Formats: sequence, C-alpha cells, structure tokens
Amino acid sequence: MLFNSLDYLFFLPLVVALYYLLPHRLRWMLIFVSSCFFYMAFIPKYILVLFAIIGIDYTAAIWMEKLSGQPRKRLLMVSLFANIGILAFFKYFGFANQTLIDFFALFGKEFKAYDLGIILPIGLSFHTFQSMSYTIEVYRGHQKAEKHLGYFANYVLFFPQMVAGPIERYATLGEELRKKQTLNYQNLSAGFRLLLLGFVVKMVVADQLAPFVNQVYAAPTEYNQLQIFLALVFFSFQIYADFFGYSLIAQGSARLLGVHIMDNFKTPYFSASVSEFWRRWHISLSTWFRDYVYIPLGGNRTSIGRWALNTLLVFGISGLWHGANWTFIVWGLLHGVFLLLEKPFKRYANVLSTFVLVSLAWVFFRAPDFQSALQILKGIVISNPSAAHWLDYWTPFCALGLMIILDFSYSKLRFDQLLEGISAIWRWSIYFALLFILLSMSGTQKFTFIYFQF
Amino acid sequence: MGKKLLLRFLVLAIGLVVMNMVYQFFFFENDLKQYSPEILEVWKQQQKNDVLYFAESSNMNVRDTDLVKKSISELTDDLLPKLRIGAVNKPATHAGIYKHWIKNMRAPYPKGIVVTLNLRSFGADWRHSDLESALQASVAMLKPYPALINRFLLALNAFDNKTAEIRAQEMLREWEETQFHFPFKVPYPTVRLWDNAMANGSFTKPDGTWDMDKITLACHYVKSYAFQIERNNPRLKDFDEIVRFCQEHHIRLVFNLLAENTEYAQQYVGKELVQIMRYNRNLLVKRYQNKPWIKVVDNLELLNGLDFSDQNWTTEHYGYEGRLKIAKQLAKAF
Repeated sequence: MLFNSLDYLFFLPLVVALYYLLPHRLRWMLIFVSSCFFYMAFIPKYILVLFAIIGIDYTAAIWMEKLSGQPRKRLLMVSLFANIGILAFFKYFGFANQTLIDFFALFGKEFKAYDLGIILPIGLSFHTFQSMSYTIEVYRGHQKAEKHLGYFANYVLFFPQMVAGPIERYATLGEELRKKQTLNYQNLSAGFRLLLLGFVVKMVVADQLAPFVNQVYAAPTEYNQLQIFLALVFFSFQIYADFFGYSLIAQGSARLLGVHIMDNFKTPYFSASVSEFWRRWHISLSTWFRDYVYIPLGGNRTSIGRWALNTLLVFGISGLWHGANWTFIVWGLLHGVFLLLEKPFKRYANVLSTFVLVSLAWVFFRAPDFQSALQILKGIVISNPSAAHWLDYWTPFCALGLMIILDFSYSKLRFDQLLEGISAIWRWSIYFALLFILLSMSGTQKFTFIYFQF
Repeated sequence: MGKKLLLRFLVLAIGLVVMNMVYQFFFFENDLKQYSPEILEVWKQQQKNDVLYFAESSNMNVRDTDLVKKSISELTDDLLPKLRIGAVNKPATHAGIYKHWIKNMRAPYPKGIVVTLNLRSFGADWRHSDLESALQASVAMLKPYPALINRFLLALNAFDNKTAEIRAQEMLREWEETQFHFPFKVPYPTVRLWDNAMANGSFTKPDGTWDMDKITLACHYVKSYAFQIERNNPRLKDFDEIVRFCQEHHIRLVFNLLAENTEYAQQYVGKELVQIMRYNRNLLVKRYQNKPWIKVVDNLELLNGLDFSDQNWTTEHYGYEGRLKIAKQLAKAF
C-alpha cells in the first residue's frame, strides 16, 4: 500500500483506532495483521519472503544466545548468508546475468542468461538490513534474543517503516513496539504534524519536481544547458523531498501509535562537507554501514591505504545496496572518492561545493544507464541552444521554494517540536497553510516513492 | 482529551470549508483548464447553443477526400436553422465520461442534448481500453464532492486508474470466460474461441497462404461486436444516470445510436455477428425508447460499408455522405 493513496488514508486511522481500543496484550496481533495487509497490497506472495527472513533470524538469534565461540559465529553466518542470499537472489540475479552478458560480449561471445522473471520484492534491502542488524547485535551480546515471535515479526514488518526505513535497531524499535501505549494527545498531535509535513514534502515538492526531471532525463539531448542544469538541481531536491517525505510520514504514522522512529534526515543540503552530508542523509543506513561494515573492516584506525580502501568498499557496497546497476556503484564510489579528497581539499569544502558534488553524483543515481548520465553531464558543459523543448518552470520553482523554506525552518528544530513552541494562532495558521497547499497543489501524476524500489 | 479533540476537529472542519471557498474562487478554474478542459467547453457551448451534442471521435473525424468537412453536429445544425447546436467531443469518450460533463452543466440547462449511443462502447474491447485511466483522470475534478477534495483525490489518483497491463488482463479474462446466452445460435460460446477460429486461416489468398489483412480485420470485428449487454454492464448504468439527470432537469435527450459497419461485419465474420449487433441494439432501443423525454435515433444499419472512412478497422468514422445521412436522421428527431 502506498502512503500517498486513498487506501492509506482509510487504513491508518482504522489501525490507530483499533490499536487503542484493543488491550495491550492483543495489540501486537493488530500490528502484525495490519503490516501484512499493508505489504500484501503490493505483491501478496512476497510476504512469504519476509516470513522466511523472520523465521531464520528469530531462530538463529535464540540459538545463538545459547551458544558461544565458533558455533555462535556459524549461526550468525547462516543468518547473514540467508539474508544476503535472499537479497542477492531477488535483487542481483538479473544484474549478475546482465554483467556476464556484457562481459562476454566484449570478447564477441554470447552468454546465455537464464531469465527467472523475478520482480524485486518491495523494500527488500531495508528489511533484510534491519533484520541482520538484530542478529549481529545478538551475536555481539548487545541485544537479548527476542523470545516472542510476534514482537520480532513486528520489528521486521512494522508497516510505517517496513518498505523504506528508517532501518531501526531492535534496541529502539523493538522496545518501542513492546511498550504499553496509552492514547495521548501529544502523540496524536505530533503524529498529525509529521504526517502533514510529510505529505506536503512528498506530494507537493517531490511530485511537482518529478515531471520536469523525468522529461529531461528521458531525452537529455533534446534539452538545452539551462534545462539540464535545472533538472540536475531539481532532482537533488526531488529525491530529498521524496525520501524525507516518506520518512516523515513513517514517523508520523508510528507516532500516532505511540511509537517513536528515528530521524533519517537532518537538513543534509546544509552540510559543509561530504562527510557531514552522510551524517545528515539517510542516517539509519549510514550508521548501519558504519557499525556493521566500516568499523569491522578497521575504520579509520588503520593505514591510509587501508582506510581509503575501506571507504571505497563501503561506499561501493552502499551504491550496490541502492540498486542493481553499475550506475549506482559509480554513484557510491564517487561519494567514496569525494570523502577521500576531503582531507587534502578541506579549505574548499563548504555548503555550495558539497551541494555541487552531491548533485553531480546524483546524475549516476538517476540516469538509467551510463550513456544517459554522460549525456546529462555533457549537456551541462556543452551548450546546445537548438535543443529547447518547452517545460513548465513555474511549478517546479514554486515547489523548490517551498522546500527551501521548510528546510530552513527544519534546520532550527524538528517541525513538530518547532510548532509546539509557538502560539496557537500561528500554529493553526501554519497548519491551514500547509493543508491548503497539500490539498490544492499536489502533483497529479502519482509517483511512487523512489526508495521503494530498493 | 475528547473535548479538546472535538474542538480541533470542529476548527479543522470550518477551516476546510473556508479553504474550499478560497480554492474555488482563486484556483479552481485554472485547474479545470489543466485537468478537465472539456467542462469549460461544455459551459462555453451552453452559452451559445440550444442543444449540446456529446460525442467521441465520430463527430470529429472526416475523410481526407471529403469536400465538405463538417461534423455530424454541424450538419445537423445546418439542417435545423431554428436550433443552435454546439458540440463537445473527445476521442474515445463514452457515457461514463459524458455523464460527468452533463451533470456539471450550469443552469439554465440547454433545451436538449444529443448523446452518441455507441454500441462498441459496451464491449470489453472499449471498457478495458488502455485509454480509460486518462479518461477517468479527465473527469476526476467533476465528481460530486467539494472542489478541493476532488483536487486532492486527483493527486492521490483516487479514480479508476488501473495500469494498461491490468486492463488488458481484465479484457482477456472477459473474452475467455464470459459465455454467450443469446436466444439464437452463435458459432462459438466465447469471444476467445470465436477469435481463435477466425485467426486460424479464415481467409486465404489465391496462392493458399493466409490473408492476414482480412484475418486481422475479421478478428477485430469479433472482439469489437461479439458481446452481450448484460444488466450489470457499467455503460448501461452510465446511460441510465444521463437519462435520470435529463428527466429531473427537463432536458430533451436524443440518443444517437451510431451506425456500425454491419455490411463488413457480415462479410468478414458472418450473419451471426450482425444478429448479435441487432440483439444488443434492440435491447438498448427497448430500454430507452419508451420514455417520453428520450428519442433514440437508430442508425445502426443506416450506412453502407463504403460510407465508413476507415475501411480496415472498426470505427464510427464516416465519410461526408455517411455523416449527412446521420445528420438528417437526427434533424428528423428534433
């Protein structure tokens, strides 16, 4: 089920109402059933993949807790291989095939690929990573194994954040889901505020920027330098608004149930360096890679060569995590390179240069293939005045303006907290202004959340 | 907390009413221009005319070689000097779209309206067309809810917005599973079987090879016309809504039951297909003819095969002579 659908606008209040009507001991069942229902609105049979992940990691963690030494490690490996195996099968099988086809073609040979005709289960990268973090924490002894299968299942399935994060740790989300929640005005009010802002950011900003970006990226050679440049800037804000909007809706939905979900963004385009950008962008994934890949590899407490390798490796994997395509790997590696170059060029790092670098890297993230990405980059550098299709500038500029205003206000305090501190008249005026913008100016071409594909 | 919440919901409800008024005053027309421009055309035509003619491409399409390029509505207008007839056309539209245009006409209403009663629009081929989502989007702003809510529902794509693949699946399923139960004999029980039979060498060239042009056309005739209008056909409900609206607002309603190429249908598929077309026609005429504010102009078999401008496809596109014949029939009805 999509957040930006009429179905969700009925589903969420119904779940919230039932949640508070039910006694605490039965609420996990409601969360479980509603999460399954939410997920099965996409491709129902893929719920079995999630059940498999839940079953494997639940069992592995319980056994792991009873064992030590090599057997404990072996169990962790089983869990990790199972998760990564599932991810690899669904996400990277086609990619591996295509890579082999291209590789053999270089030598004039033909590689016969076997097409499984698989569609990637929505949000698979998110729930496998979330579930893996649990088994790793149990292995490390930082987390007790959850004995209640229902609670563990809800940790993996919790509908507000199951398809695009934030990738929560069991210590936080697991505990939040266990807590006995009471109907509380503060939670309801904060939840509605987050939902309102999330829908505005997604449906007004991201969805109004998307048509411009899509048109230019679909045929870069048909647009002039300015249009390509604008598409590049607009995409930087589109993806931010799309993912940030999703995260806010996730936070708001969870908050209505009394559950606190972590902040996944902290005004990333105000970062004065690429390393700072990664502390403010998709925080739950950055910290996941830091804790479970970068630090175990040695982090930065190692030789310069090894540190550089670790950095590139982590960002390369991060790119691959995002999408099964070489363009994503290049996007990740570019960020790795930017980070490596940050130390020697520290004095040049500022908000603008960071934004430029991040936006240039987004070209590889957005473009369907290298050829298109290079056409976009070439189009920015080389003027092509004859190629100028008409585009609507007014709408995306308004959307961009709105995003900048919202981001400025967000840079001071989180939106729900910011509004708590002002007078009721101003607060309600802001609510009505945002609600009016949402109801009357949302994009009409419905776009699914970009991160759903990962 | 209950009181606190109630108060806030009340403020919100009042706010929504005010916002809706602001939206209607400042933004609505601009959004209509963008998303439902046809309704603006309806309002414009209403001001200038006594009768409005609602049609799909049958009223717009002319043959390249036609010396007179006037549409059916224009020809009818010429034939009725005392009545001014204006048209609102959009390709691929049907009663499910017309009903929204008609219900959103502004008072004072026209004396009469003409609505094309297109037989093909009842069939699976048209009902599950991949153009349907775009058509439904074009009337999303015209639903009977407050304007601001309609705008938001459009943004949520809360209308019949299935993908082309899903529509194709539904169409194939209907062709495969829906069995005919006519009171006369038809050669095959489903469209799928009939289509298969036509596709397997129903026409051959003198050298014995399959004549694919004729086979394709024959198959298309089967898929376009081999259906039985059931009581639950959504198109019937759409026409019924138009009928009710016209009755309530004292608007004279003329259904222009469009001419179909029955000559080629018989030639390419057989008399049973024409029999099906007649059966469905009779059902429609019987359903709507007996109401005093309605006139059904039955043009189904009015034209010869050569009167159709598309000789290699099933359309309701007519050459000048064809359009004129239909216009004369309509003029008679007035």
